[in-house]
Amino acid sequence: MHWFTVLAFSSLTVFDLDNRAIDPFKAAAGARATVFLFTATDCPISNRYAPEVQRVYRAFAPKGVRFFLVYPNPADTPDAIRVHAKSFGYAADALRDPKQELAKLASATVTPEAAIFTGQRLVYHGRIDDRFVDLGLERPAPTVHDLADALTAVVAGVPIAHPATQAVGCFIADFAR
Amino acid sequence: MKAAAFALISTLVVGRAVQAGRSADPARSAESLALPTTQLKDIAPAFTTVTYSKDIAPLIADRCAMCHHENGAAPFSLLTYSDVKRRATQIALVTSRRYMPPWKADPADGPFVGQHPLTDAEIALFQQWAGDGAPEGDARDLPPLPGRQRWSAGWQLGTPDLVVSLPEPYMLPAGGADVFRIFVIPLPVNATRFVRGLEFRPGNPKVVHHANIRVDRTAASRQMDDADPAPGYSGLILRSADYPEGHFLAWTPGQVAPLLPNDYSWRLDPRTDLVVEIHMQPSGKAEAVQPSVGLYFSDQPPTRIPAMLRLGHQNIDIPAGESNYVVTDSYVLPVDVEVQAVQPHAHYRARDVRGEARLPDGTVEELIHVGDWDFRWQHVYRFAKPFTLPKGTTLSMRWVYDNSAANVRNPEHPPKRARWGQRSSDEMGDLWIQVLTKNEPDLVTLTHAFRAKVAAEDVIGYETELERHPDEAGLHDDAALLYLEVGQPDRAVAHFTRSLALKGPSAPAFYNLGTALTIARRFDEAAYEYQQAIKADPSYAKAHNNLGNVWLAQGKFEPAIQEFTAVVGLDPKSAGALANLAGAYAAAGAFDRAAETVDAALRLSPPEPLASDLRARAERYRRRER
Repeated sequence: MHWFTVLAFSSLTVFDLDNRAIDPFKAAAGARATVFLFTATDCPISNRYAPEVQRVYRAFAPKGVRFFLVYPNPADTPDAIRVHAKSFGYAADALRDPKQELAKLASATVTPEAAIFTGQRLVYHGRIDDRFVDLGLERPAPTVHDLADALTAVVAGVPIAHPATQAVGCFIADFAR
Repeated sequence: MKAAAFALISTLVVGRAVQAGRSADPARSAESLALPTTQLKDIAPAFTTVTYSKDIAPLIADRCAMCHHENGAAPFSLLTYSDVKRRATQIALVTSRRYMPPWKADPADGPFVGQHPLTDAEIALFQQWAGDGAPEGDARDLPPLPGRQRWSAGWQLGTPDLVVSLPEPYMLPAGGADVFRIFVIPLPVNATRFVRGLEFRPGNPKVVHHANIRVDRTAASRQMDDADPAPGYSGLILRSADYPEGHFLAWTPGQVAPLLPNDYSWRLDPRTDLVVEIHMQPSGKAEAVQPSVGLYFSDQPPTRIPAMLRLGHQNIDIPAGESNYVVTDSYVLPVDVEVQAVQPHAHYRARDVRGEARLPDGTVEELIHVGDWDFRWQHVYRFAKPFTLPKGTTLSMRWVYDNSAANVRNPEHPPKRARWGQRSSDEMGDLWIQVLTKNEPDLVTLTHAFRAKVAAEDVIGYETELERHPDEAGLHDDAALLYLEVGQPDRAVAHFTRSLALKGPSAPAFYNLGTALTIARRFDEAAYEYQQAIKADPSYAKAHNNLGNVWLAQGKFEPAIQEFTAVVGLDPKSAGALANLAGAYAAAGAFDRAAETVDAALRLSPPEPLASDLRARAERYRRRER
């Protein structure tokens, strides 16, 4: 993480776990695509996705995709995030987005929600898969793996079939208060 | 002043209506603008500020906090402003969809114990509060929270008389499909107790979704657990694990069965196990699960015993893609009953479940209706005011299943044929109805009439399961017991034989087979199996005893006396063993020995009716009569 570019004037106020303001797009320079996974330490739906997020990470990180976990809840402190990432086995770098600026840029409204950028262009945002249909309505197993499918398309250089999907989870708007 | 304030509010309302209309439908915005002033007046009161302290906290305390507290049944706490504010939008959404508080039954049913629905006006409060930015308001408006102390104290029914928990935690994997696991927990009582309450604590509320609780008075479930190296076992709840004397014991979040009156208890004998099937949802990280159960004892045996009726079929066979598969069943009550509680049961594919009672006068009472069935909320619905249904009433159920891809809860994608089975991937359809009869003869009439109906269904169910799992020994054991119950001992012999072959030789397996052979009156074969059991475990008193009975039935008195003597040697304090030995002596014509043995049995102060029987026998033997 020491190689993050520390910016004096960033359009985004996003921090790493050492409270340094960083520009994640610069940090991910050279990556084929950047994935932001919005999460929260205390969102049950978000947490249930940890193994699936890890699977996607392991499948695509070697293919040049850069992953960041993004915590938009200002109440999630760097220490709480370290404990959270460790207990759920997350390998990706974590960012804090206490003013939800990155969330807004990525059109993310809930945790968990994923956003894929190529360069600074948002090419996918939405659910990880279709397991949750609504709050209180879930499939026993997912039938569509939206995030993995989108990344497969990005890596293959073909258009993403469904560039925007509806994610189900805990509302990021509630963190803003 | 008043008029000015009213005008201001009116402007606000119109302004909002326009805004809402603009984004949705331009045609409707004009309509909104044209709202007559009388309607504006009706809407106006909603614009008083809704605050956490004044409006939201009391609702949370009353309807949510019983689960949403630290270590409660829900995955997060909602006891403070910051807890609630942080989920304001979510709370507004889940309450408006009536997903929370969880209550699946039609609001017209019941009323039921523990039913605490939100009114439409209360739901509107949550929505307005979240929409207005979730203001805290004045902390002085906060109601006292009498509940808080109680929620944090743990046991909701008070301090239990006995607490048991899993000896070691079960480790649930981080991800994957939901897990169903059966845990067997011994109940350490050294004398008979009577239970009037049972409270289940999930241990890890983040992952434990619901629990199905039974009582096994045999060692069968324990043996299943022992055979699996990890805590608990995966598979089927055995036939020997049942609701004790017609009492529901299941648990879903937010539901604690109330303590029963002292005379409405169930009997708990030593060497009884609790069998707890737990539905767990992985949380994203590996989790330790260690539930506990608190028992509350009564100081007296029951004077009222409920009967558990079960409607439903086990020939369920739903074609892949079928979106409207219907299961119906009915039963005409042979006696008057008072309905206490109902529990509908089905798995993922059921969509609409309905139970009714048609009285002899033609009136129909809806017992339960769940229009959007969700396998994860398997409540026991206890009527707040139990009611009488007269003899001749038809109880009925109608379950509708959707096995198409359109049913998002369908566990198979693409859909597959679904048949009856206990596993969550299979389907079931049962309506359990708990009733009290007016008196004991009526209870006997009802349970006797009902047993035949249930056993016939169970035969179909076991044959279905065995067709798909022909090598599961536990299924063969249960099928054998069922065939004994319906009077087909030769079929029982076949299943115990198969079970023995699958499990390998053991004293209980030989003993079971011997017992079925005895009932089939195949005495030579039975004697052989009992001898095998004794060879495997020379201290197996029940095998010696049954072998003695076989010899007796064949007129072989000397070997019979030998076996019964062995039983007495193994269990010298058993008056029953001495009574059997005395019977063998008498059969052999050794009346003096028979009388002496009966006297020895009587010196052990046996319970009734054995004591009276022994005294009568003592007199007969002295008259040298059998």
